[in-house]
Amino acid sequence: MAEQQVPRTQVCIAVLWPSFMVAIVATGLFFSAFDPDDLYPFGEQTEISRTGIYSIGFLVFWLITAVSGIGTLYFAMTNCMRRNPDSRDQ
Amino acid sequence: MTSPASSGSPGGPKSDDHVEQSLYAKAEKIYPREVHGLFARLRTLGVLGLLGLYYILPWMRWDGHQALLFDLPARKFYIFSVTLWPQDFFYLAVMLILAGLLLFFVTALAGRIWCGYACPQTVWTEAFLWIERKVEGDRMKQQKLDALPLNGRKFRIKATKHFLWLAFAAWTGFTFVGYFTPIIELGQRLLSFNLGPWETFWVIFYGFATYGNAGFMREQVCKYMCPYARFQSAMFDSDTLIVSYLPERGEPRGSRKRSADPTALGLGDCIDCTLCVQVCPTGIDIRNGLQYECIACSACIDACDDVMDKMGYEKGLIAYTTENAMEGKKTSIFRPRIIIYAVFLVSIMAAFAYSFSQRIPLGLDVIRDRNTLYRETNEGLIENVYILKILNMDKLQHQYELTVSGIPGLTLHKDMASIVVASGGVQELPVRLRADEAELVARSSDVVFSLVAIDNDKLSVTEDARFLGPQ
Repeated sequence: MAEQQVPRTQVCIAVLWPSFMVAIVATGLFFSAFDPDDLYPFGEQTEISRTGIYSIGFLVFWLITAVSGIGTLYFAMTNCMRRNPDSRDQ
Repeated sequence: MTSPASSGSPGGPKSDDHVEQSLYAKAEKIYPREVHGLFARLRTLGVLGLLGLYYILPWMRWDGHQALLFDLPARKFYIFSVTLWPQDFFYLAVMLILAGLLLFFVTALAGRIWCGYACPQTVWTEAFLWIERKVEGDRMKQQKLDALPLNGRKFRIKATKHFLWLAFAAWTGFTFVGYFTPIIELGQRLLSFNLGPWETFWVIFYGFATYGNAGFMREQVCKYMCPYARFQSAMFDSDTLIVSYLPERGEPRGSRKRSADPTALGLGDCIDCTLCVQVCPTGIDIRNGLQYECIACSACIDACDDVMDKMGYEKGLIAYTTENAMEGKKTSIFRPRIIIYAVFLVSIMAAFAYSFSQRIPLGLDVIRDRNTLYRETNEGLIENVYILKILNMDKLQHQYELTVSGIPGLTLHKDMASIVVASGGVQELPVRLRADEAELVARSSDVVFSLVAIDNDKLSVTEDARFLGPQ
């Protein structure tokens, strides 16, 4: 039954929201330890402001944590379906 | 104990399947009815106080700087008279742990009062609801308006509401960014349409988050997104303050005339007016028992007390109570859980305060020159090169004296005659250490740099480094 499946908004929330919070923590930890001005990403010196580096850093962390969240969700959901095969085509 | 996490089924007896389905169904819009009373006044006070703080704080000045500024571009946090550096990350982490423990403590004692009165989600939702009521009218008018097909009048009302919401949200986003970059300069750049790309991004990002969360998501944030709502039940026990309906007094519920004698009709005190359901911002029926959706805002208490007054019954059919009190047992405040939380809280606070008072506002980093391990001077001595980074985190400028020890006869050479660092300044200082090869017992020896302020010997730090030689 289609409606029984988790709606797309809640899937998005389940992936994007926890990863958002973890990305904040990761960004805080990372940039407390490293000053963007001391970093040479891929061996290059960047012209981007600190605010820009923090923001990009945060977005990259968010992307990575979200990808991990998608993986977790995918395995959790497909495992559920395997255990209750009815839920797919009821 | 009844775990608030194990949700009672809202809306009557349904099978588990149905409950699950209703959780996953498209959420229906909740129109919380406006409520007046003691707790509504307390909440308004909370909302005004907290929103006021949020919007005014970044404009306050202290000692010539913004009173509260997490200056990310400059990597310094100003918290009134305290300035924190990245080196002080530890203190920020401890502060967060303290805030978490405080929340545990308060939750064990008084339940979810954080949710009902102080959570930003509640506070901004209240503000958005207030705007909605001012524009669209009360609950009935809002429901009627939403049922209408789109016409000129409806469009005008909705457009006004969304314009006000967006303006308020944009101001919220601007203020948010103002906590991380000096707000006065930010305002000047905004007025001259000169905001940086990332500042613009974050104003819009936070503005939309506010608009979405307070305007549309509302109680769904508490139900589906809030981690605290999920685990708060772990802090609950039978002595925790909860908002509860007293079924022994209320049941059997039923409508009756004001003049009727409920005992003669075989009825309890609940007149089944459903006002408690109508005022609930999360759309639950408190009469079904403790539910995890309940944010303990006590709107239902106010609504019910009002009805009880009108009926001439005693107030408190829905009330702040504890599970023990409901069962006629004694409620104890000082119980192991509370005492343990309190002991943790107080000891960490004391350790934090002590450690903070002993904080030395001076930092020294020693970085070995990476190009050469060591070199031999013309005099036949072994020389190592280091870059020292001196951070003066004090409010005054200081002159410092640098010494080094660890190897007999070790000498220090630097190009600068005196080391003067301004308040809040960072000074890079290249230094060379020379030692006689005969004194080196191993390939690597430990040396210690000591830095002390000449005018204040309490401002002193030491930093270990390694001295490499040929052996």
